[in-house]
Amino acid sequence: MSETRIIEKKQIPSGALMLFGFPDAGLVGVIAASHLIDELGLEEVAYLDSRLLPPIVVLHEGVPHSPIRIFGNDKILLAASETPISADIIYQVMDGLIEWGQNKKVKMMISLSGIPIEDRQDAKELKVFAAGSSPEMLKMLQDKGVEGLMEGYMVGPQAIMLMRCSQIGLPAATLLAQCFLNYPDPEAAAEILKGLAKVTGIKVDVAKLLEKGEEIRLKARDVMKRTQEEMVKMKKGQEYDIPVYVS
Amino acid sequence: MSIERKHTISEIVDRYFEEMEHEFEHWGRTLTDKPSWNQKNCTIEPLHDMKITPTEVIVTVDLPLTFENKVQVKPLDESTLEISAKMKRKVRFSELGITHCEGEFQKLRCYSRVPVPVQMNKMKMKFKKGILEVHLPRKRKSSIKQR
Repeated sequence: MSETRIIEKKQIPSGALMLFGFPDAGLVGVIAASHLIDELGLEEVAYLDSRLLPPIVVLHEGVPHSPIRIFGNDKILLAASETPISADIIYQVMDGLIEWGQNKKVKMMISLSGIPIEDRQDAKELKVFAAGSSPEMLKMLQDKGVEGLMEGYMVGPQAIMLMRCSQIGLPAATLLAQCFLNYPDPEAAAEILKGLAKVTGIKVDVAKLLEKGEEIRLKARDVMKRTQEEMVKMKKGQEYDIPVYVS
Repeated sequence: MSIERKHTISEIVDRYFEEMEHEFEHWGRTLTDKPSWNQKNCTIEPLHDMKITPTEVIVTVDLPLTFENKVQVKPLDESTLEISAKMKRKVRFSELGITHCEGEFQKLRCYSRVPVPVQMNKMKMKFKKGILEVHLPRKRKSSIKQR
């Protein structure tokens, strides 16, 4: 038996766009994913089952669910996690999801995440950056008006996704909004969704997200706290480092 | 925002137990997790962080659903701060997904222990976008006299 398997609950479309929203800096990906699910009315179509995961189920309306689920419609598949993925198992989890997406012939993978900045509360506007799995992808992202993240380190699930897709030749991008490192950041989530709209044309109204921002920050404290612990293990702080380019 | 220093006897007793709780939390975190909310006191523990620079210690606290004028920062001793803020509205447990208990939260409260000597009486505060920043200048040791 494989270490991870995806259990499908509904018919999975072929050629869809696959998005990822996992706990990371500012919980940008998770907050954005949650808003996308609500706004687009995405349904749970599959979930990840693995003995590598801690013995956790998420109860919704009294019924158990996997903490890592895939939501979708006929055009989009969105993998989201309600619990941080431990650094020890992140490769197996991401490999399982990417392989599944590849089998479903997804046309592109995009990870939604954040890039922490110092003195975030003083930032007047939050920039969104993009990294591509290939020079062609990066050019496409830049042509759509998203600034490229040209140098630096990327740490977390989005880094694995980008690297794996680069290796297998699947077009992929990671979108990163400037954000708080250790505090949930709904404003950054709104910015990442605007960036996603530029790249893919998937537009959602972010007004409600900004309106509910304070409630989201209050509710997301515990997930943020556990995510902080995993980010320390993953050496997330390395994203602040100045890279040494080895040609 | 205000800085409070006078306390009644009941506040002192409460503080004693809170400090004990804080100590248990500090040492017990490795053994077991505890909830980030307190049903008895109707309080939620906000996320907080600390940055230590050569000249100051900066404590930041995420205080959503609060007003700046409801934030209180109390130095409990030379190294501990109690930070609390009354919330704009009461939040029912069920709104946060806590359905196995009944009640509502009215306040955010946390304690922050500073690991280096600081001048509590020179603290400065800033509140922006729901984030409280407390700046505490570090105590300078007396310099070695040059002959």
